[in-house]
Amino acid sequence: MTAVVLDGIVLGLAFGLLGVGMTLVYGLGGVLNLAYGQMVVLAAIVVMLVMEDDVATFLAALAGVLAVAGVAVLLDLTLMRAVYREHGEERTLLGLLLTLGVAFVIAGLLTWRYPSGALYIFIGGDPVSILGVPMARGSIWASVIALLVAAVLLLFFGLTTFGRGVRSIIQDETGARLVGINPSFVRTVIFALSGALAGIVAITQSMSGPLTVNAGFELTTFALIVTVVGGLGSVAGAFLAGVLLGVVNTLSAHYIGQYITTIILLGAAALTILIRPRGLLGR
Amino acid sequence: MARTRSIGWAVLPIVVVAAILAILPSIWFGDSPYTTSLAVQALVFAAYGVGFNLIFGSTNQLFLCVGALAGIGGYGAVILTDETSLPMGAGIVVGTAFAALVGGLLSWISVRRSLGIIFTGIVTLVFSLAFANLLLGQREYTGSETGLVVTAAADRLADDHVGGYYLFAALLVVFLLVFRALQLSHVGWAFRALRDDEVAAELAGVDVARYRIYAATLGSAMIGLTGALLAYSAGFISPATYSFDRVDVRVLVLVAFGGLGTLLGPVIGAGVFAILDEQLTTSLELREVLYGVFVLVIFLGFRRGVVATVVSLYDRLMAGRRRKPILESPGD
Amino acid sequence: MLEVAGLAAGYLGESVIDEIDIEVRTGEAVAIVGSNGAGKTTLFRTIAGLLPAMRGRVVLDGKELTRRPAHRIARLGIAYVPAERHLFPAMTLKSNLVLGAYPKRPDRATLELVYDLFPRLKERQRQQAGTLSGGEQQMLAVGRALMARPRLLMLDEPTTGLAPKIAQIAFEALEGLKQEGMTLLIAEQQVPLALSVADRGYVLENGRIRLSGTSEELDQNPEVRRAYLGVV
Repeated sequence: MTAVVLDGIVLGLAFGLLGVGMTLVYGLGGVLNLAYGQMVVLAAIVVMLVMEDDVATFLAALAGVLAVAGVAVLLDLTLMRAVYREHGEERTLLGLLLTLGVAFVIAGLLTWRYPSGALYIFIGGDPVSILGVPMARGSIWASVIALLVAAVLLLFFGLTTFGRGVRSIIQDETGARLVGINPSFVRTVIFALSGALAGIVAITQSMSGPLTVNAGFELTTFALIVTVVGGLGSVAGAFLAGVLLGVVNTLSAHYIGQYITTIILLGAAALTILIRPRGLLGR
Repeated sequence: MARTRSIGWAVLPIVVVAAILAILPSIWFGDSPYTTSLAVQALVFAAYGVGFNLIFGSTNQLFLCVGALAGIGGYGAVILTDETSLPMGAGIVVGTAFAALVGGLLSWISVRRSLGIIFTGIVTLVFSLAFANLLLGQREYTGSETGLVVTAAADRLADDHVGGYYLFAALLVVFLLVFRALQLSHVGWAFRALRDDEVAAELAGVDVARYRIYAATLGSAMIGLTGALLAYSAGFISPATYSFDRVDVRVLVLVAFGGLGTLLGPVIGAGVFAILDEQLTTSLELREVLYGVFVLVIFLGFRRGVVATVVSLYDRLMAGRRRKPILESPGD
Repeated sequence: MLEVAGLAAGYLGESVIDEIDIEVRTGEAVAIVGSNGAGKTTLFRTIAGLLPAMRGRVVLDGKELTRRPAHRIARLGIAYVPAERHLFPAMTLKSNLVLGAYPKRPDRATLELVYDLFPRLKERQRQQAGTLSGGEQQMLAVGRALMARPRLLMLDEPTTGLAPKIAQIAFEALEGLKQEGMTLLIAEQQVPLALSVADRGYVLENGRIRLSGTSEELDQNPEVRRAYLGVV
């Protein structure tokens, strides 16, 4: 049982990381980035390609993260501008459609060029014993990285001026503008950050097992579920929801079955919307 | 909204469409079953589109579960007729009824909890995916991924491709007539009002909640009916037939392309995408890329859809005359 | 300091205010009075950059502010306290104040100044802004604006939703600020209150300047008295 829960936590931390990127972008601008899962896959493919040239894993990882962050900035400066010019429901719909289009383009290109592409960062060594359960080194690495990132993010948003600025936009955009904060600029930075996070997710996911080129849609779905359950716009909420759902996922998959598990996770998202729309830690 | 004199004008676009559909087989199909099935697929999606238009285009409820509703119609009908000895007709009725019920229920929930567009979208998306998983999980009834051969399908329906074409063409024309009738009635007025400004509509006496639920129920019925007929005419269904990526994404894009809330939007969208499909017979992946590019270009450019753009061009041309535009796009 | 010339602004292509000429000199307190719907808020939003001007100009110490984005104008020295306040409800009172100084780090001295002016804020500094009372929120909004050490402080209907006693205290605080040399531009429905602090005033009616003059002149003016006396 402990083993299952620990596996759940490992998975959960990955979920959390996945959710943060999406929840930030939504909280700031009301846009659900349906291309998020594809961005993760893009990072994975970039890392895969760089590693084929015998580059050190760390540098390859860096390349992947930077590449996706760069793509994110590009997307923000082009497509997102058009989206943010709209307001309310128009913006929501346009955001959905445009990011969907981007998702198709990225997914199509990647699956066409690298139909069997996959990233697997193998961490050798004996399993480490945590609470009496042997855990693969890859999982340990993945979790530690995720925790570090979580800590950095929480410190950043809680303590730095810029981080406070981000939170203020989420709470009252007009108020933020009146104190001299430029929401456009902040949104671009955060979108780039979400891209970088997608890259980090690609790395950590591929440490636990191969991340294939087809995983995009599934990743987007999980990101969406975590975002909704955690609360739109809340970083801490995304992590909390991620870990909870990760544990639920592994417990359910272990004791009940695969298909039901997915339904349960989806149900959690629906339930959250129906009963407590602001999510666990949302406003 | 004049009555008698305008009925002719009102129905004109549908008549034109019906005429085109009637002669299409002879000028385009040749004897190619491939082209025929492409046309049938376009008709199916246009039919889905009209239903979706009723739900989203007319009452702003983002139902990302078109595939699932069609699947309820399809699987509901087929499982019933396969397990019992009821005729195909019963299956169709039951399947459609189930779909209508589920759609109405989803709408009711969305209304009761005052879910906005995004949350309605997410809840229905969740429902879609959950339904897909349900189909996959319940092997006993649904055959899971391997799919279900529709034993109760009338042979004449399953093998006669051109017959299938005319069946769906007729279905589409009926749907369009229903949609048009609604558009021109007080219901259509209520729809326009609530899309324009919900609060104002409520204050003007429009029971927004009721209209939403009615629209969703009717739209879902249309979608379910189409799904059921699809099952019987194809002779074989699997979860992939009604999956989110196969159905919903496509319907959303083609209706938005043609023009949300407009009568001919789904028809134009389905037609254009059918032609696109025919031209892009190369790799599936590249087709995906082109769809994506298409979506981006369209929504960065003609936000309101082709029909609305054409209508506004037409209106500008007719600026001098006091004629009412033929292709009426409500409330945009 | 602030010059507004021929300003016109509005919504959906229709101008709500037009041909607005206003001047605010350094150290002055200027009042814009008018009834509901006269266009006071539209005017302020346009000056602050929340609404793009359709015609005319807004100039601050020679710098062109017209059609610049709100955050730029905020950084150039105009602090706007809107009627809705737009505070950050889930943040503490102190965090709200701290953000007022964005992008700079908060100045200890300024923070102390604000706390001296509004001792209640210091008491409740750890409280979430959303849980404060109306009067406290108003104080916080003004305090947050002050944190930026603005050249010009604009307040839109600062007494909205405040009990008369609190409104009085608010205006006393504003008087205090004026004494310290702060330049003020205040929009108010409550004419006597506004004229008590202001040196000069403009009367706005149906989107146009109807009258202008020193506060004594306006106070004596029979039209102003007749139209607004009794509107408390």
